[in-house]
Parts: sequence; C-alpha cells; structure tokens
Amino acid sequence: MKTLMIIVCLIFLANVAGAQSPDRTKTRIIRNATVLTVSHGTLVNTDVLIRNGKIAAVGQNLKAPDDAQVIDATGKFVSPGIIDAHSHTMMDGSVNECTKSVTSMARTQDILNPTAIGIYRELAGGTTAALLLHGSCNAIGGLSTTVKLKWGHPAADFPIPGATPGIKFALGENPKRTNFNIPGLQPRYPATRMGVEETIRDAFARARDYKRDWDDYRAGVARDEKNLIPPRRDLELEPLVEVLEGKRFVHSHCYRADEILMLMNLADELGFKVRTLQHVLEGYKVASEIARHGAMASAFADFWGYKMEAYDAIPYDVAIMTRHGVVSSVNSDSDERARRLNIEAAKMVRYGGLTEDEALKLVTLNPAMQLGIENRVGTIDVGKDADVVVWSAHPLSVYTHVEQTFVDGELLFDRQADIARRAQLEAERKTLEAAESNKSPAQGGTPPRAPSAIRRAYTHDDDIQDGEDRRP
Amino acid sequence: MIMRNVRLVIVSLALMLLLTIVVSWQLRSAAQRHTATDTYAITNARIVTVSGPAIDRGTIVIRDGLIAAVGANVAAPPDARPIDGTGLTVYPGIIDASTTLGIPRPSPTPGAAPGGLAALFASQAAPSATSPNSTQPPGMQPEILASDLIKPGGPEIEAARNVGITSAQTAPRGNVFLGQSAVINLAGDSPQQMIVRSPVALYVGLNPLGGGQYPGSLMGVFASIRQMLLDARRYQEANEIYERNPRGLKRQNYDKSLAALQPVIAGRMPIVMQADREREIERVLDLAKEYNLQMILNGGLEADRLAARLKAANVPVLLSLNFPKRTTAASPEAEPEPLRILRERVEAPRTAGRLAAAGVRFAFQSGGMTSITDYLANAAKAIDNGLSREEALRAMTLRPAEILGVASQLGSIEVGKIANLTITRGDIFDKNRRIAYVFIDGRPLDLRPTAEIGSRGPNASGTWSLTVNLTGSGNEKQEFTAMLSLQQRAERLTGSLQGQLGSGTISAGTISESDVNFTVPITFPGPGSQTTDAIFTGSLAGNQISGTVQIVGRGAGTFTATRSTVPTSAPAPTPSPDR
Repeated sequence: MKTLMIIVCLIFLANVAGAQSPDRTKTRIIRNATVLTVSHGTLVNTDVLIRNGKIAAVGQNLKAPDDAQVIDATGKFVSPGIIDAHSHTMMDGSVNECTKSVTSMARTQDILNPTAIGIYRELAGGTTAALLLHGSCNAIGGLSTTVKLKWGHPAADFPIPGATPGIKFALGENPKRTNFNIPGLQPRYPATRMGVEETIRDAFARARDYKRDWDDYRAGVARDEKNLIPPRRDLELEPLVEVLEGKRFVHSHCYRADEILMLMNLADELGFKVRTLQHVLEGYKVASEIARHGAMASAFADFWGYKMEAYDAIPYDVAIMTRHGVVSSVNSDSDERARRLNIEAAKMVRYGGLTEDEALKLVTLNPAMQLGIENRVGTIDVGKDADVVVWSAHPLSVYTHVEQTFVDGELLFDRQADIARRAQLEAERKTLEAAESNKSPAQGGTPPRAPSAIRRAYTHDDDIQDGEDRRP
Repeated sequence: MIMRNVRLVIVSLALMLLLTIVVSWQLRSAAQRHTATDTYAITNARIVTVSGPAIDRGTIVIRDGLIAAVGANVAAPPDARPIDGTGLTVYPGIIDASTTLGIPRPSPTPGAAPGGLAALFASQAAPSATSPNSTQPPGMQPEILASDLIKPGGPEIEAARNVGITSAQTAPRGNVFLGQSAVINLAGDSPQQMIVRSPVALYVGLNPLGGGQYPGSLMGVFASIRQMLLDARRYQEANEIYERNPRGLKRQNYDKSLAALQPVIAGRMPIVMQADREREIERVLDLAKEYNLQMILNGGLEADRLAARLKAANVPVLLSLNFPKRTTAASPEAEPEPLRILRERVEAPRTAGRLAAAGVRFAFQSGGMTSITDYLANAAKAIDNGLSREEALRAMTLRPAEILGVASQLGSIEVGKIANLTITRGDIFDKNRRIAYVFIDGRPLDLRPTAEIGSRGPNASGTWSLTVNLTGSGNEKQEFTAMLSLQQRAERLTGSLQGQLGSGTISAGTISESDVNFTVPITFPGPGSQTTDAIFTGSLAGNQISGTVQIVGRGAGTFTATRSTVPTSAPAPTPSPDR
C-alpha cells in the first residue's frame, strides 16, 4: 500500500512537474547533421541551435552556451516538422454534426482532447502540426482548428495563435449520402450533386442577407435612430460572412473533376477563393483550372478505388498538379497514416518523379502555406519556430525512424527516452493492477475485452466515409 | 367475611374500570389535542451539529417538524415521545447533492419503434418530459421544472432513505437543457409536501439528441447552447425595447424557453454542468465564463487538477461518490486495460481531499450509482485517502445546503431548522455502523434493510441460446444462432453475443418490467462482411425472450432466446470504452 502511494505520488508529481519543466526554454544544439532546410537546400555537417522555442542559428561549428543540451546528430538527418493538412486526431465525440446540411456553427475547437494518444504517436512519426477538420457529412461543415501537437499541454495551448481560421466544405458522395445504406434514416436534402451546389449557394445568399441586415442596423445606430431592435445573431451565418470577407479559409473535400470545377466557379461567382481542395483525387484532370483559380490541393498519395468517386484516382495526381503550378500537399485523414507521412511523401518520388526536395515540401512548406502559417513553420530558417525532427536516416527512406521531435523547441518525443520508460511503466502497471479498485468483481462481471481475429487498430477513426477500414 | 371480600373485589373492579375509562378518555383527548407523533425527544445521545462543536451527551427535541431544542442540558418536555439515544449518534440528515430521485423514468414512446439508424441514435438520456407549446425539441427545454414531475415514494427514494439520505437535489433527465432542479425531502405523501425549494438551478448537459435531430454531436451541443444563450439575451433586449413603446414595432414571438433562460443569463440562477475529465471541466468553465454564468460543477472526477481555477472562479463542485471501478470479470485472455483507466480508478477517492486542501467548496452526490449503499462506503474511502472526517460530514450536510440555497432550513442541527436527522449506532463512516433512525420533517421513517433496486421483478441475467430469423431476400441464409450472455443491474442490461453473428458487446441494454431492449454489433458470416448494429426488442417471460430485431442495412426479423443453464466461458471481444 505504501509503495502504491509512493508511486502514485511520483506520477502525480511527474505530471505536475512536466507542466512546469524548464524543458520549454532550454537551449539545445543539434550538431553535425544533414539538415534538409526545404527553403534553401540541403546542408551537410551542419548544426542547428534552438533557443527560446525558435531556431536561433543554422550553420557549421556553431558556438553554443555551456548549459545547452547537445544532441549529437552525426550521420542523422534534420527536417522541419511534418504538417498534416487533413486530420481528425484529438477530437472527442463525433467529428461530424450530421443532422443538418449546413453546420458552420459547429466548432472543432470545442472538442479538443489533448490526452489522445494519437498525438504522441504522430509526434513519433515526425508530425508536429495539423489542420483539425470537421468531417465530410455536410455540404458546409464546421469550423476547423490549426494546431501544433503539443503533447502534455492543456487544450488551450494547441491552437496556433494568429493562424487564419478555416471551415470545411464537402462535395460528392458523402454529403449526398450515396455511399452508405442506412435504412430508416430520415432522408436529408441534398441527395444529388446539384443539391450540394444549391445548398452552398443558398447558405451564402443567406449570409449576404445577414451581413446586410447587420450593416443596416449598425448604420441605423450610427445615425442615432431610436428603438432599433438588433437582428438575431446567427452563429451559422457569421463564419460564412467571414468567408465572403476573405477572413476564413475554405477547405473543401472533393473528388470528381466536375465538382471541383463547380466549386471553383461558384466561389468565383460569390467572390471568394477556395483555399484548399482536399482529397481532390481527380485534380490531375483539371490541374490548370485549379492553378488558374488559385486554389491549393491536399491529396492522398496512393489511396484509391474505395468508392465510386475515387475510382479514377491515380498516384500521379499530386505530381501532375505540382507540375501545373498548384501548391500541393499530401495528407493523412487518419491517425494511422499521420504517423508515416514521410513515406507518403516519398511515394511521390516514385509516382511522378518529383525530386526529393519537392517531395519533402509536400509535407512541410506546402501544407504550411496552405494553412497560412508559413511565416512560422515549414522550413528550417533562423527565426522560425523550432518545430524540428531528427531522423535516423533520410526522412524519405523506408529505413528511417524518428529519433527526436521538437515543437516550439520543446522535446516532445525522444525515442531513447520512450524505450527507457517502458520498464517503469510496466512496474507502474503491476502496482496499479494490484490495487483494490482495479480488481475484478468477486462475482458476476461482464466479459472483458480479449484479442479477436480481426481487430481495429485504432478505436478512433476519422472520416471513415473516405474509405477507411470499417471492419471492427 | 366472604361478603366483605366480595364487596372489596367488586369495588376494586369498579374502581379499575373507572380508572381505565378515565385514563383512556385522557389519552383520547391527548390524541385529539396534538398528534402523539408530532413531538419527540431523543435523549442521552451524541449530537453532531456540524454548525458547532459536537455534544457528547445531549437531547434533541423535535416539534412540528422542526428542531425545537438541542443541547447538553435540554430537558425532554412531558408531551414528547421519548427515544433513548444511549449509544446513538445524531447527525443532520444527509443531503445527496445531485440526483433524479422522485422523477419517474420516461416510458418508452409507443410511436418510436426502433427503426434502423433512428434507434441507433436513440439517446441514452431520454428526456423526462415534454413541455407543451415549446419552440425547442424535448431534451432542450429549460422551462421543464423538476417540481412538476416529482412523484412521492418509490423504491429509489426508499433505498436512499434506508442509508440515511433525507433530502436531495433532483433534476429532470434530458440532453442539453435538462430543466430546473428542486431540493426535496425524501418523505411526504404528495410532491407539495416533499419540495423544500424550487427552482434551484438549471441543469445543462452535453448529450447530443437522438433520432437524427440537431444537435447530434458534441460540437453541435456547444453550438446550440451558445445560440440559445445569445437568443435569450436578444429576447430580453428586444422585449425591453418593445415594452417601452410597442407602437410601430413588430412584436417578438413569445418563447417560453428563452423566457426560462432569463434568470440564468442574469446570473440569478446557477447552471449545473456535468464534467469529469480535466478537458471537459475546462470546456464547461470556458463556456460559463464566455456568457458570464454562475456555474456549479457536477461530477468532478478530475476536478483536483483544476482546483486553483475552480477556487478563483468560485465554482462549487458536486463531487460524485460513484467512484469508477472495474466491472469486467478476470480472464487470462483479457487484454490489459489502459494505464489511464487504471490510474483513474486509484486516483478517484483522492479528489475530495485535494479539493478540501485547495479550499474549493464541494458537496457529495451519489453520481447515479446503482447501489446506494456505496454512498457512505465511498465517503469513508475518501476519508482514507486524505479527506478529514469533518470535511466529509460537512460535504454531506451543511455544504450542499449552502450550495443549494437551503442553508437556513437544512444541513445542521440548530434550533428552528427542519428536523431532518440521520441517527446511527456507531460512527457514520464506520463500516459496521447501522442506521438506527431517520427523521424527515420531524417524523421517523420505517427503515428496511437495503435491497438492491430492481432485485424484484423479472431477471434477464444468464446465458441464453439465441436464434435469429431474418426476412431477407434472395438466397441469403435466413436463420442464425448465437450464445447471448446477459447481466442485469437494476434497469440496465449488459452482456455480449457470440456465435454465427460474430462477437459483440451490448451497447444500450435496458429492461423495464418485462420489456427487453438491447443493441449489439454483429458480423454476418462470410468474407468481407461488414459489422453492423442489431437492435433487439422483445419481452421476457420466464426463461424465454422473444421479439423483433432490426439489423441496420439488412432489414428486420424475429428472434427467440431460451435461457440455458450452462454458463458461457468464452470471453467476447468488446470495444474499449474510449473515455
């Protein structure tokens, strides 16, 4: 009992200590690595100095203060942290508010779960930031959150301050619900692609009226008119007004070339630009049009054929769009794929002949540009946030693994420390399992979970309608 | 001489008769003057007043439902029914700070025959009532009052009284706006006699609505709460402008839901929000801060991690005593439980002590525990884990009274307060204590040994041989068999399925009288078969359950289950609760 108390006290202290550790402001120097800057080429035998959460210096034989932690990266590679431009990690409850076709009042920021283990595993795969999106159930979905994966911090620390806010749109089979058969579910408009377009157009027409009503009211107040009743504040329409005013990015899930063209034309008609087309697996068919509109693209590397609208997908999609001048990225849409986005990027060397630098850009600088945070992250440049990953081999190699991951200069994943900690966790487990409240009931008791033939790897799966494995 | 004796005997008999008549006459008059049961004096007892120092040996006089006198030197009045308190300890009646006591469970709506996804989405927290002419759907109606729904008596109130609980805050069930709570005494023949204070607080929940209605997700719930609060503010503003001079202005539509929210947005009525985990507590605190609402935290499993913030915001906590414990049986093949869950179970009893140390006000509540005897047992566990006895007792008596605004009537033994008393033999936190008397409104109650609620009536626990017949199309196999293992606790059914329909754990099982309902994921045999939900609705008679089953994406069918005596030993895989 006493040992239990001691161990639990230690855990409690460790939790508390972690929150206040000086780790955040520690000065670090990564020595003698091959640094893939992404912005200005590859530098060999180079040091990276991290101070106060920023990249303080990049160069050979840097001078470092005596109290700096030295990381010997001889033979290793350093890259900017990977940015996942389509994620549903760390969200509590459903990622979809499916009950209406327009749910712009729903906010992903309300349901952040900073303790989701997916965050830690993604850090172990080199991912340091993500765009957390609403699901693709609705033509107009909820508001997104751009986060850094700050494992161990409270939820309020995750959203990147100053990042331009976003909203999710969805086109095609998911919002019109043709790719799953649920008898008894009340049919919801729209059920066709025409209806999806009309839903979006109608929502913006209402947003325009809403904006006008408020402008009229404010003008009336300015004129000192009496007895004016303000219009109703409508949380659904306010984000759409922000889109019209260019203050909120539109990230739209889409597959087929016709709907991609439809959305861009609609956006031009309504007076805004689509920021990113997500999935966009037929983007290669309309790459010039996408470039002309000014949209960017975020796609899968080689995932295809899981529903009708993904049938014409080809792994050369990203390469073709890149060659046509579309700023493209490769995303995960999955807690599992988000752990190996480096390999997804590497596939684009094989499919389409992107250079290694271009491929690495697909998961670093390009998604940073798409999220509007390229001034802070996405490359290794002096003055940028120290979101940096140390790899055992070139990040595009299948043999590589992550040694350390830094976010804002804080060491949030360390492979050696993780391995060393396993014994301690085992000991803690043994003690906890012996505690009285963790013992099984004397009689009765429901059957416990046991391994079965088919097991879902991750209990939380994201936008499953986009083709994730739905078996249990 | 015999004559004289006979005369003596006759006179004695006559005198005795006369005496009997006179005495009974007196007694009857006494009974008519005041009910003999109105006045009590408990003498020679240890009295723990909570508001002041304990009295080692004293007397309490109860008259007309109130505490008339209390002290070491108080004399029992002649008309009081004496109760010998030697060896007994008198405490203020225990208050359970958050329950649904007295509010009947909603009967399953006849129209909502489980149909596919609609039933899949069926909310676990079905609303207690529907407000007539409301602009909001059931489950989102803040105008619902607990005081309108309370029914006296019932097994749950009895069980609570049997462990010494004398009053409780009770609130309706629901989804987002559950309704306004009331503080009730757990005795009385009518709701009016039970209610001590109403309304007390607006309960706000974070449970999505079912049946495909908005809000259907946690995101939607937050958005809908915000929108309602904004609309309530505007309703007030607009009505004020209109009232000042209606001429020329279009009137606002009357909306009683928004009207019911006015005391809340004005800060006059607190909201009670359920949150257990650190991030959940942060969310609700942020929401209350955003709209400047007075908040009471309900649940608070990890509240100690945010003690400083709770103290700074002056948010009291209704701390649940329903500590998490392992409910799965042991098995050599079982997967290890996540460390997070193991830690949580060990940490739970420590929260109270830490909150007390940080100066956060808290009161104990039963947290929906199915076995109310755990209430005192877990309070004792909290004492073992760092909470002082005085704080623990306070958290069951005066603190909840203060938080719920009834401190001038309940919560301590003081002259003039309502005579709710819990009288024990042995210290109240001692494992071997017995509840000797429970007084509510100055009347002692019939105590019965606690029986677990629902132990009477049909029992579905056991192992069943299940046969499902599907009315499918084409040449698909129509009949499937499986082993069904069920455990019944009160009205909840848990268990698992294993056989030709794959393996699955029951996700939403209820039994009410003989109506059995449960949902379980099944997988049809064959490669590439997808898992889907099967919704069973049947009735239990003896050792047979029969009824209909709706399989999402496949159609409907019928099923029968026969109870077998051979218990299943194969554990079924279950999805881990991701919370």
